[in-house]
Amino acid sequence: MTIKTDVIIIGGGSTGCGIARDLALRGIPHYLVERGDFASGATGACHGLLHSGGRYVVKDREAARECITENAILRRIARKCVEPTGGLFIRLPGDSKRYRDEFLASCDEAGIETAILSPTKALDLVPTLNPTLEEAISVPDCSIDPFRLCMLNAYTSRHRGGGILTHHEVVEVIQEKGRCVGVKARERLTSQVKEIRGRVLINATGAWGDRVARLGGVSVPMSLSKGSLIITNHRLTNMVINRLRPPSDGDIIVPNEAVCLAGTTSIPVSNPNNLEIDPAEVDIVATQAEQMIPVFGTTRLIRAYTGVRPLLRVSARDARSISRGFKVIDHANGMFSVLGGKLTTYRLMAEKTVDAVMAHFGLKAACRTAELALEGQDELSGYPLSKRLSTMDDIVCECELVARRTVEHAINTMGTQYVGDIQHRTRLGMGPCQGGFCTYRALGIMQEIGRVSPDASITILKEFLQRRFKGIRPALWGDQLREEQLIESIYLGILNMGVRHE
Amino acid sequence: MNDSLHDVVVIGGGMSGLTAAIHLAGKGLRTALVSRGDPVCSLSTGCIDVLDIGKRPLEAMGELPEGHPYRLVGRKGIEDALKMFRDLMAEGPSPYVGTTRRNREILTPIGTFKTTCLVPRTMEASQGCRDEHLHVISFHGIRDFYPSYITSRLPNTSFSIYDAGASSTLAIATRFEEEGFVDDFCTWLSGLEIPPGRVAVPAVLGLRNPVSLMNAISARIGRDVFEIPTLPPSIPGLRLFRALKAAFQNRGGDVFWGNAISSVETRGDMVEAVTLAASGRPSRVQGRVFILATGSFVSGGLFATRDAVKEIVFGLPVDIPGPRNDWFWNDFFTTGHPIEGSGIEVDSCFRPVMSGLKNLFVCGSILARSEIMKYRCGHGMALATGLKAAKMCERMLL
Amino acid sequence: MTFEHCMRCTICVENCPIYKVEPRFPGPKQSGPDAQRFRLDGEKSVDEWVKYCCQCRRCQVSCPYGVEVAEIILKAQLKYGNEHLSPITAHIFANAFHFNKLGSTLAPLVNRIESWPIARGFLGMLGISGEIDLPAFSFINLERGRRRKGKGRKVVFFYGCHLGFNRPDIGRKIRDLLVSVGCRVVMPRQTCCGLPALGNGDLDIARKFAQKNAAVLTKYIDRGFDVVYACTSCGLTLMRDYPGILDVPGGKKIAENTYNVYEYLLPLLQGAGEEGGLGRLDRTIAYHIPCHLRALGIGYPAARLFALIEGLTFHVLDDNCCGMAGTYGFKKRNQDASRRLGVIAAGPIRDLGVDAVVSDCGACRMQLGHFADLPALDPVEIITEAIAHRASGNEARAGGLKNLLNHLT
Repeated sequence: MTIKTDVIIIGGGSTGCGIARDLALRGIPHYLVERGDFASGATGACHGLLHSGGRYVVKDREAARECITENAILRRIARKCVEPTGGLFIRLPGDSKRYRDEFLASCDEAGIETAILSPTKALDLVPTLNPTLEEAISVPDCSIDPFRLCMLNAYTSRHRGGGILTHHEVVEVIQEKGRCVGVKARERLTSQVKEIRGRVLINATGAWGDRVARLGGVSVPMSLSKGSLIITNHRLTNMVINRLRPPSDGDIIVPNEAVCLAGTTSIPVSNPNNLEIDPAEVDIVATQAEQMIPVFGTTRLIRAYTGVRPLLRVSARDARSISRGFKVIDHANGMFSVLGGKLTTYRLMAEKTVDAVMAHFGLKAACRTAELALEGQDELSGYPLSKRLSTMDDIVCECELVARRTVEHAINTMGTQYVGDIQHRTRLGMGPCQGGFCTYRALGIMQEIGRVSPDASITILKEFLQRRFKGIRPALWGDQLREEQLIESIYLGILNMGVRHE
Repeated sequence: MNDSLHDVVVIGGGMSGLTAAIHLAGKGLRTALVSRGDPVCSLSTGCIDVLDIGKRPLEAMGELPEGHPYRLVGRKGIEDALKMFRDLMAEGPSPYVGTTRRNREILTPIGTFKTTCLVPRTMEASQGCRDEHLHVISFHGIRDFYPSYITSRLPNTSFSIYDAGASSTLAIATRFEEEGFVDDFCTWLSGLEIPPGRVAVPAVLGLRNPVSLMNAISARIGRDVFEIPTLPPSIPGLRLFRALKAAFQNRGGDVFWGNAISSVETRGDMVEAVTLAASGRPSRVQGRVFILATGSFVSGGLFATRDAVKEIVFGLPVDIPGPRNDWFWNDFFTTGHPIEGSGIEVDSCFRPVMSGLKNLFVCGSILARSEIMKYRCGHGMALATGLKAAKMCERMLL
Repeated sequence: MTFEHCMRCTICVENCPIYKVEPRFPGPKQSGPDAQRFRLDGEKSVDEWVKYCCQCRRCQVSCPYGVEVAEIILKAQLKYGNEHLSPITAHIFANAFHFNKLGSTLAPLVNRIESWPIARGFLGMLGISGEIDLPAFSFINLERGRRRKGKGRKVVFFYGCHLGFNRPDIGRKIRDLLVSVGCRVVMPRQTCCGLPALGNGDLDIARKFAQKNAAVLTKYIDRGFDVVYACTSCGLTLMRDYPGILDVPGGKKIAENTYNVYEYLLPLLQGAGEEGGLGRLDRTIAYHIPCHLRALGIGYPAARLFALIEGLTFHVLDDNCCGMAGTYGFKKRNQDASRRLGVIAAGPIRDLGVDAVVSDCGACRMQLGHFADLPALDPVEIITEAIAHRASGNEARAGGLKNLLNHLT
């Protein structure tokens, strides 16, 4: 089966989805192909932090400016994705005062609004902070939901003539006369191969950038590094907490929905697939986080996760870079690659990429992604979180308050067979029991709706539980270990799905 | 301080603690049962797994590793315990069936079959249900049971949905015991065109008289009826726990429920008392003999820090299989994770080794190497070690 | 932050009486530890449905991991009550003490008309259920009459509203029993323990009541008095909430010096009991354990006293909440749920074929007396009856039991 379009986007992370939305608003037909669900790369494995730019401001003023500009834009256009938590940079005893001074001055120059808070005031705002803190500086950091962000960008694409193909892996780039004219994509569940032809390809695959580029006969120098984060059982802070010192491991804590995310580490890897989390990474992050919020040392962790930073290996005299944070490359064979960057600046990256593609074809439509609010936000639950407690009818995932009708809606609108897809859209299974009960329910509902074949259902359940366990295993002690024994007694006991170790 | 003196203080109100407590109270000893909360057996299928190796559980005991607690009890001890259990449950409204000579099967909520040994009478007809047509009845809105799991996996099955006006297993079970409900249900059921065969329901046939409910339904439709255990909240688990607790209370036992032990008093090599952090003023429970039956991690008896495992009442030493990365296999579905072998080592009298305490006995899933997930021996092992430890206590006291 | 320890095991749900019969209540797990993760932003409460929790505390008692489920829900109820306008029923019940006092003062009139349809109709308009008869009031309440009696151990008797205004006879029996075992019993001016206000979302009124009581009780404790309570709900409030959520001055001192009256009597009567039993009574009774007695964690002391009575067959029933739950069952909106629970709890009692149901809690007595259609007694009534029987027989012995008899009215 062949699909014909103008632009083919490979990669459904924030950049890819952002590009799809931008193209849609500029009226360019396009298709997006993603091998997993949205945000299955770095987008879905990051801090979920909408940067104010404070983290970069001392070393990279330009990047910081980009951040603060985009921060304001996203807060306006992506209300249901962004929780305006605010953030604090806290200075603990021993942290450099000189850095602090530089920080304040740089923020000023970059246009990042700051305020200096006394320890008392800081502890008033965030009672769990280390009481020995000397000072806190507030910045407009926010918490952002990367899944929702991707989905809402994709929504615009879908509703304006774009095509979205998730769970399709690009296995071949079709080349004719030295030009990239299309892709072949294999659907994960059925192994059916679709052919999509277009006039230009955009490689927005993040850490897989080089691998996909090579399919198109070119290459991009990348430097991959793995970062692991941990998730706490509940919100220890309602504001983003950063360490006021030169950026290093484990110095960010972000409230996200009903949990906290803390991280991260930085370990070079060569392969972005099949990442493992070392329990030592969990310990590193917890120890660093503990310095900022002491109870981190004993609080319950529900899981750990890891992702790969798509860093560019940039040569010093590279004239094509538009910004030091990211780069758009025209490979001059019908393929463009957009690489590097961060979640916060996804929209800008998409804008610059589409600008480059438009320029190439001599087209002139202005980017409108900053001025228009994301479409499709109305039906989504919003912030503050406590407002979601008003009705408790027919809840399927009790940890995360997901109602049955929400799950059914997600299943029906997506036509999905993947529990992971439901999870990303509804947060089912992302709470303390990590889907212990609700996975069984979600699959039961999918069967009732007729969405899943009998053969597939147990396979899907097993796959999901296995993936879940992988994330839980590195942080398995204390309460969470008890939880796990309970979940085992359900799936391996009551449901008898286990196999004895010999 | 509230003070009470007993002959025996059993710490932990689960399967093994209750068994020990029932035995000792039945012998006329002043027995106290102290429990922080309800036990996890109230979440279980309600069945008694003895051993899942081959078809004959008692004969397969020889295949267990040397240190397994069953070995300490011995075959006769295990049989005695299971007989005691069956006799106890026969006192109440939910008797058990099954024989220790042969394992049996029950149908699970996802359409697989699970090996077990003794089952409540309401699950008797689960065995062999593959041999005929099976019609599953479910309830509108119930979220912990989906008949399609079963009907999509097993051939020769069908299902119908009844609107019970309630959607949780507990609420439906409550309905079943209210006036007129079972009549209406049976009328509806007998109006369906069900092929000859058996009928199964999720386990919601009330808490008080499940067998008579089952029989009433069976009589109305002329078919065998059985219950399928559900995810928690589990009605059969609740029935099991309450029946055992009632048996203990009917034998004059005292229960101290709902509080953790805040401290333990010992004098020399004897435990003298435990103190409960009761509301306001601590409650002191004295005894001549103590039995620790607080269970494994999920039951609350053991607690893992990042690099060690603690026994939470007496601080008894617990071995671990290595650093944290060695505690679990990489595969969720492999039973027998190394950490499951962690627990309390006991001597042949069920006293913890290396504790130096003469009047402390240990039984149940807190015992080292019980590996109950791996061998599917949870409740059976709890009953067997509970009774054996109780007999050791009895010897010490009388 | 005990909600951290929640395993989502649903043991609390298995124990919740309301969850079985009230579809509008999502259960203790969801109302407590699950919802708590979403309540942390300090915003205005929207969880109106927490009002369906009757605070029986069974969830908390049954949790194996130490999650204070009931406390979490209570705090949510109080926060909601604080931020929203409560219905008039809540205000009435929060101030039940004053209405009870009024009822007692006008007892002859109130007792006559309280079952009249027009009165029930009026109460119905205020949201008060017509399912159970309102209890009769006593004009000669415990505030009138003797305040001091006996010699020996110094005891303050906190008798609570029900005994105080409705069943002073039981209150006097308890007082006299204490006196007969060598206590000097004082019944000072007291006010509501505060639990009805707490259970109706009004922390301020609860605190006001509690502070008044605390001032009186601490003065006595400082003079060497022990405090005893008979109503187990008052007891739980004194032992747990006074030093806890009500945070009254002297709360800890009160909790350390307060005893359940049967817990207090046990060592004193056991001595007498050793002379050959506490007396004889050929009866078969069902002893229904009030939910709040379970929550106190002291075991069932009255049952241990029953065990000393020859000829008495008693069945301890602690698996069901009777459904009255203090003021809960008196509210129209809870009428259905309360009735269903009353029927469920009465079932095993009726099946046992007993001649009476016994319970420490006045609310349980009202509910079960109605649904089991049996006389509903306080443990003291059984104990004193046994003693009276024994001593009136020809087996009266010198010392112990004679003494007991002499002091019983």
